[in-house]
Amino acid sequence: MHLPQMGYDRAITVFSPDGRLFQVEYAREAVKRGATAIGVKTKEGVLLVADRRVTSKLLEPDTIEKIFIIDDHIGAATSGLVADARILIDRARLEAQINRLTYDEPISVKDLAKRICDFKQQFTQFGGVRPFGVSLLIAGIDEKPRLYETDPSGALLEYKATAIGAGRNVVMEYFEKEYDDNMSLDDAIVKAMIAMGKAIESELTYDGIEVGVIRVEDKMFRILSVEEVKDYVDKANEVIRRELGN
Amino acid sequence: MILYHFKQQPFVREVQEVKYLILRPLGYPLRASYHEYPVVDNPRVFERYAKDQWKGEFVSKGKMLFDYRMFPDFAFEVVSAEPEGIITDSTRILVENPKSVVETEIVKDVRIDDVVGQEEAKRKVKVILKYLKNPEKFGKWAPKNVLFFGPPGTGKTMTAKALANEANVPFISVKSTKLIGEHVGDGARRIHELYERARQVKPCIVFLDEFDSIALDRSYQDLRGDVSEVVNALLTELDGIERNEGICTIAATNRIELLDPSIRSRFEEEIEFKLPSLEERMKILENNFREFPLKVKANLRVVAEMTEGFSGRDLVEKVIKSALHRAIAEERDSIETEDLIKAVEKVRKPVKQPPKQMFV
Repeated sequence: MHLPQMGYDRAITVFSPDGRLFQVEYAREAVKRGATAIGVKTKEGVLLVADRRVTSKLLEPDTIEKIFIIDDHIGAATSGLVADARILIDRARLEAQINRLTYDEPISVKDLAKRICDFKQQFTQFGGVRPFGVSLLIAGIDEKPRLYETDPSGALLEYKATAIGAGRNVVMEYFEKEYDDNMSLDDAIVKAMIAMGKAIESELTYDGIEVGVIRVEDKMFRILSVEEVKDYVDKANEVIRRELGN
Repeated sequence: MILYHFKQQPFVREVQEVKYLILRPLGYPLRASYHEYPVVDNPRVFERYAKDQWKGEFVSKGKMLFDYRMFPDFAFEVVSAEPEGIITDSTRILVENPKSVVETEIVKDVRIDDVVGQEEAKRKVKVILKYLKNPEKFGKWAPKNVLFFGPPGTGKTMTAKALANEANVPFISVKSTKLIGEHVGDGARRIHELYERARQVKPCIVFLDEFDSIALDRSYQDLRGDVSEVVNALLTELDGIERNEGICTIAATNRIELLDPSIRSRFEEEIEFKLPSLEERMKILENNFREFPLKVKANLRVVAEMTEGFSGRDLVEKVIKSALHRAIAEERDSIETEDLIKAVEKVRKPVKQPPKQMFV
């Protein structure tokens, strides 16, 4: 829990004496409230796995969107405030199209991530606004597979494997040990799911998980259907069951 | 000594020595204008003086002891005698100061096994127990200051009491709020008084409940004018520059983030008390139903499953007690699952979490 920090958290444009921007840090807390999303990069491509368990039977599961297609070759997973995420996704799609119209070529993943972060950064430096309470994992392929993580401050980092949202620490800990530069994309999906199982401390369900994949061969980002996800989930659940049993 | 008692106490074999005796000054049987109201001046001298006149006396809770010598017929009441028995040379005699906020008590009713879960705290308690039995052995490695923190009702106070009980040492318990006086300066004075008293009765446990009220971060100085002074007083006492062997301070708070960082650094260990898990809730329910005024025909697992996020105190006070009262009001002789479920539904905690659908 955070306490009022002597008034340095009332406006985002005010530094605390030790150089912190509390509003931005609070925005990070909003990200932690979001469900876990995992991104893993391999030589064969990049994948995003997101937790989208439904809390009510009455809710239509497909309205919970965690993974979005930004352009043919880029997808993004979000964690944090839903409404903020939608705005950023729209912005990302727009930037991708602007680049196509201006330069007649697909935007590079890094450029797109930068544009998003420039946008986010503006909301940490001017009065009368608040920062975006959302982090994005941006996965895509330009010359090679890329995976970027953005955070509410507008910071931007490229990862081999990373996670945002509630289970970030658990997943990061898992991949610190398990990440392998030479693993196949299929293996990486199963590993990401195992990590997800650890993060949510339960077995996975077919429709409680969303997977987005882009492969080097076709450079097309797509979201897997429930049928396609099944095999991976079954494999992962075997491991999760064993680990939870202990 | 035994002969002397034979007359009063036919079961001599059963009579034990009193280890700790706590007295409260009561007063004279009659009031007259020339009476002075005596106050204990030096506790050690008083202890010797008291033993001289009362050695061999059988004491139990509520009994009055009269002074014979300096203030004839001035009465003290026995607040507690642990165990009940006769006063001997080795009895420790403590006198409560009616004006003081410090309560010395000897706890008998809680055992460490009654605390469900909280394994980390229990482990520390074991070390402290060893220390209190043999303070010299530990030297500078003695456990001194331990901080318990966690949500309300998770057993912080209970664990501290259980510790005092098992260690069989005086338990000086203070509600920290009482250490803050009306005037600036009161707080620091009372804290020093508290430790002064602790030094007199050591080995002992000093338990500071609601610790955040005195150990507030000094950046709150402009909210409350005495924060700095109180914190500094605490710092010097916790550091224990002198004569603090045998005093173990336990502080409890549910708002650890309010504490002053330098005070937190004085605590060798910060032990978190967590809300009970499913199994622990199960156990809490079982423990509490073991001795129960009514018959229990309830499926405890169902109740445990639906009380996620409840603390131990919630379970006892809000669930079991209110279910019991309902059953008694309806003149039934047993308590059923349904009663408990209704009680749970009534207390369903207001969800502090923001609306789920805002986050994804």
